[in-house]
Amino acid sequence: MEPVKFEQALKRLEELVIQLEDGELELEEALRLFEEGVKLSRYCQQELKAADGKVQKLVQTLEGDLELVDCEELLEG
Amino acid sequence: MNPYLSVSELNQYIAGLLDEDIFLRDFWLKGEISGFKLYQQSGHLYFTLKDADSSISAVMFRSRARRLDFQPENGMEVLVRGSVAVFAPQGRYQLYAEEMEPFGVGGVYLFLEQLKEKLQQKGYFDVEKKKPLPAYARSIGVVTSQDGAALRDILRVLKQRHRGVDVVLVHSAVQGSEAPAQIARGIKLLNLYGQVDLIIVGRGGGSFEDLMPFNSEEVVQAIFESDIPVISAVGHEVDWTLADLAADIRAATPTQAAQLAVADLEQLNREYSQLQQRLIRIMQRRLQQENEVLDRLMMNRAWQKPQQMVQQYQQKCEELRLRLQKEMGNRVNEAHQRLTMAVTGLERLSPLKVMQRGYAVVRNQEGIIYSVENVQPGDCLSISLLDGEMQAQVKQKEKVVRWNL
Repeated sequence: MEPVKFEQALKRLEELVIQLEDGELELEEALRLFEEGVKLSRYCQQELKAADGKVQKLVQTLEGDLELVDCEELLEG
Repeated sequence: MNPYLSVSELNQYIAGLLDEDIFLRDFWLKGEISGFKLYQQSGHLYFTLKDADSSISAVMFRSRARRLDFQPENGMEVLVRGSVAVFAPQGRYQLYAEEMEPFGVGGVYLFLEQLKEKLQQKGYFDVEKKKPLPAYARSIGVVTSQDGAALRDILRVLKQRHRGVDVVLVHSAVQGSEAPAQIARGIKLLNLYGQVDLIIVGRGGGSFEDLMPFNSEEVVQAIFESDIPVISAVGHEVDWTLADLAADIRAATPTQAAQLAVADLEQLNREYSQLQQRLIRIMQRRLQQENEVLDRLMMNRAWQKPQQMVQQYQQKCEELRLRLQKEMGNRVNEAHQRLTMAVTGLERLSPLKVMQRGYAVVRNQEGIIYSVENVQPGDCLSISLLDGEMQAQVKQKEKVVRWNL
C-alpha cells in the first residue's frame, strides 16, 4: 500500500462524512456514498492493522545492482 | 685574491641544503594569513603566514588552489601542508603550499560561513523548494551508521509509533573523511531504490568536528537533490549543520526525526474510528428520519380504510349535487320573477292602454307629430283613437308652455 492511497482514503472518508452530515442528499445518493464510505473504512481498518514492518539494509553489489538484506537483529539493539 | 662564489652559486648551494632535508619536503604548518593576493592571470595565491614573532612567504599554485573548498582571507588561521624551498631570483626561501584548511573554531567557523553563503546562492536552502512530508509514511529510508545510537533510537521510536512501517537502512560512516561521500551516496541510493516515502539522515551527538561531514557540500547537495523528502537529525538540539538547512525538515535529534517521520498509529486509529462512527451514526439517523416520514404517510387513513375513503368521496359528490340543484332552482326562480316584472312594465307602456285614457296619436305623411313646430295651418293630419281613424285640417296653431318640459 502506498501512503498516498491511505492518505487519500482517509481524506475521502472525511469528505463523505461531511457530505452526509449536510443532509441535502437524496436518499439514494446518500446510500451510495455510505456504501463507498463503508468500503473505504474497511480498507483503512485493514491498513491500520497491518503486520509488523520489515527492517532491511539497502546495499549496492559490485555489479551496481541494488539489493535488500533483512536485518531484523538491528531491532534488538 | 680570496676564492669567491657568484650569487647564483650561493643560492643554488643553499637550495641544495634545503632540498636535502627530508623534513622540509613535507610538513604541516600553522599560521595566520596576511598579505593575501590572488593573481587573476596565473591563478596562483601569494600570502604570508605569521605568528606573534615571525613570518614566512608562501605561494600556492593554481592547480592546488583550485582544490580549496574555502576562500582564504587575511586574519584567518590555517593549517598548510607543503615544502620549503629557495626562490633564487630574490634570494628568499618560501613555503610551497600543497593543501590548506581552516584551523580551529575561528577558521572553521569562517569556512562554514563562506560555504553557507555559497550554497545559499545556489538555492540549496530555499524555503520554497522544501518538500512536504507525507502524512502517512509507511516506508522510511535511513542513512546513518548501523552501529550508532542514532539508528537504535530511530528504530525504537518508529516501531513504537507505527509497528507497520518498513525501514530501509543504508549504512554509512558518519564521521571522518569518508563520511561525506558515504552519506551522500546513501541518499542517492535510496532515491535510486525509490520505494521509501521519506529519508532520515543523521547521527547522534558528538564533537563539533564529528558533525563536520554534515557541513560538507557533498551531503548538502545530495539532500537538496533528493526527490524524496529528507529529515535531518544531526546531534543534539543545539547542533546546527548545513545539512539541517538543506533538509526539508530539521529534527533536533534522531528520536524526534522518527516522531516526525510516521504518524502515531494509536492516534490514527482514534481518528479513523471517530470517522467510522460518525459515518454509521449519520446513516442510522438518516434512515430513521426516512422511516419516520414513511410512518407518518402510512398513518393516513387512506391506507388503512380505503372504503371509507370512497364513501367520503361519494358523500362529497352528493353534497355537491344538492348544492348545484339548489343553486339552479334559485336561478330559475329569479329569472321567472324578472320575466313577470318585464311583462308588467310592458303592459304599462302599451299605447292601447294610453288611448283607453283618451289620448290620441297625430300623424302627417312623415310620421308621428310631437310638436306644433312641425305643422302649418292648412296641413292635413290623421288622428288615431282607440277605436278608429279620422282626417282633420289645421285651422290655426299656438305654442303653449306646459310644466317644465
